[in-house]
Amino acid sequence: MDNDTEIGGPRNRFPSTQLSLLEAAAADWPNEALERVMTLYWKPVYRFIRLKFGKNNEDAKDLTQSFFAAALQRDFFGRFDPVKASFRTYLRMAVERFAASQHAAANRRKRGGDVEFEPVQDQAATTESPEQIFEREWQRQLFSLALDDLHAHCEGCGKQLQFRIFEAYDLAGGDRPSYAVLAARHGVTETAVTNCLAWARGALRAFVTERLRGVTSGERELREEMRLVWM
Amino acid sequence: MDVSDSIVDHLRHVAALPNLAATRYELEMEIGRGGLGVVYGARDRQLGRRVALKILDSALAGEAQIIAQLEHPAIVPIYEAGALPDGRVFYAMKLVTGARLDHYLTGSPLLAERLRVFRRVGEALAFAHTRGVIHRDLKPQNVMVGEFGEVYVMDWGVDAVAGTPGFRAPDPQLDQRSDIYALGALLHFVLPASAPLAIKAIAGKAMQADPSARYSSAPALLADIDRFQEGLAVRAWSEPLWHRLRRFAVRNAVLLWLLTAYAGVKFLLFLLRNF
Repeated sequence: MDNDTEIGGPRNRFPSTQLSLLEAAAADWPNEALERVMTLYWKPVYRFIRLKFGKNNEDAKDLTQSFFAAALQRDFFGRFDPVKASFRTYLRMAVERFAASQHAAANRRKRGGDVEFEPVQDQAATTESPEQIFEREWQRQLFSLALDDLHAHCEGCGKQLQFRIFEAYDLAGGDRPSYAVLAARHGVTETAVTNCLAWARGALRAFVTERLRGVTSGERELREEMRLVWM
Repeated sequence: MDVSDSIVDHLRHVAALPNLAATRYELEMEIGRGGLGVVYGARDRQLGRRVALKILDSALAGEAQIIAQLEHPAIVPIYEAGALPDGRVFYAMKLVTGARLDHYLTGSPLLAERLRVFRRVGEALAFAHTRGVIHRDLKPQNVMVGEFGEVYVMDWGVDAVAGTPGFRAPDPQLDQRSDIYALGALLHFVLPASAPLAIKAIAGKAMQADPSARYSSAPALLADIDRFQEGLAVRAWSEPLWHRLRRFAVRNAVLLWLLTAYAGVKFLLFLLRNF
């Protein structure tokens, strides 16, 4: 079989993405499932808490850490009902409730709500709501992780050239080099450049799908999330 | 690996491009995007013609089979269906050039032309219903008017579709009567503000909240439009007497003129004989 079609190589290379979230939670709860969730959601949760509750950097980090620690003890996955909401929505609402209660408790401790809010520059610079920022951060983190997967895969199976061309073109922050420039730089034909890009993009798509599979409740939710990412 | 939002947007676009290496098609450009799929313009290398290529999630593979059953002049024909290496499915279809109905109407066509286009849509729907297919998401954006006046109804019968606000019937489950509601909403959309009350009433009847109060079928709705265009009373509206008299006068104008002339001549002769 052509290895190129086996995106990600042998299945055991992806310990965190072969089962849906609920399958993993049922079979191997809590470490495996929570690890997947934390890997993808730590940053979105942190940013959400920071902006929604006006927390400073350290407090937001502490609250984020506390939330995931509490999730371990509170049958977090057991309460998730995929019929009612996507896991992403369920998690965000759980974070909001948790952070709100912690925030209120902190206010009570300060006797009279004498709590100092630090101005959050991120919030001042954007018109997006904390919920929108949570979604955007989630998407950015999802692609970051999938890119890490792709990079590791390319390193592991001798496809460094494909990754370098993909990196130079699709991950270019500014102007993208032409196919001709890339071909000359890497000593290949322009057709080879387009083939490398097509392969890497297809592989990235597969890694995004696998990451999503690991944090969704099953096929139906996975399809919904994919629609959100790709449409 | 940290990435910026602009790179994420770029990756979302390029990683969604279909790999057509194993097909006879060559990707050209994206021409449409909806909640369930992306449509690209492509070139068929074997036949040297341009086609539209719709890429869908594998869970929606049945869509092509549904449409392939519908051979009708107002339904875009499917040429071929297949699977991509990443599991998504595609189908190639006739590339329709023209304007979407909502754009077409900005040219302010006459009422008769609006009703001609609407009739083609109704006929396509009636045909699909005879094949047991419902559209589920009939709306102006899913109707194309070609450059020679041909009309195509697109995006048929995907289970995942729940309709579009303004065109979706308030029915718990979508069925043929739900399509009749959407057809009524489409008629309402197509009509100009100055349209006669009778034709507006047809749209209103089709859009009744109670499915049993709507037209029983697309042909029944079209038949009422026929009656309107022939100057007859429509079933959707019990018109007031003055309106009925006016409609009678318009419909029988020649006869009324002849009768008036005849009465005038008789009266003139009567005057000449007696005075």
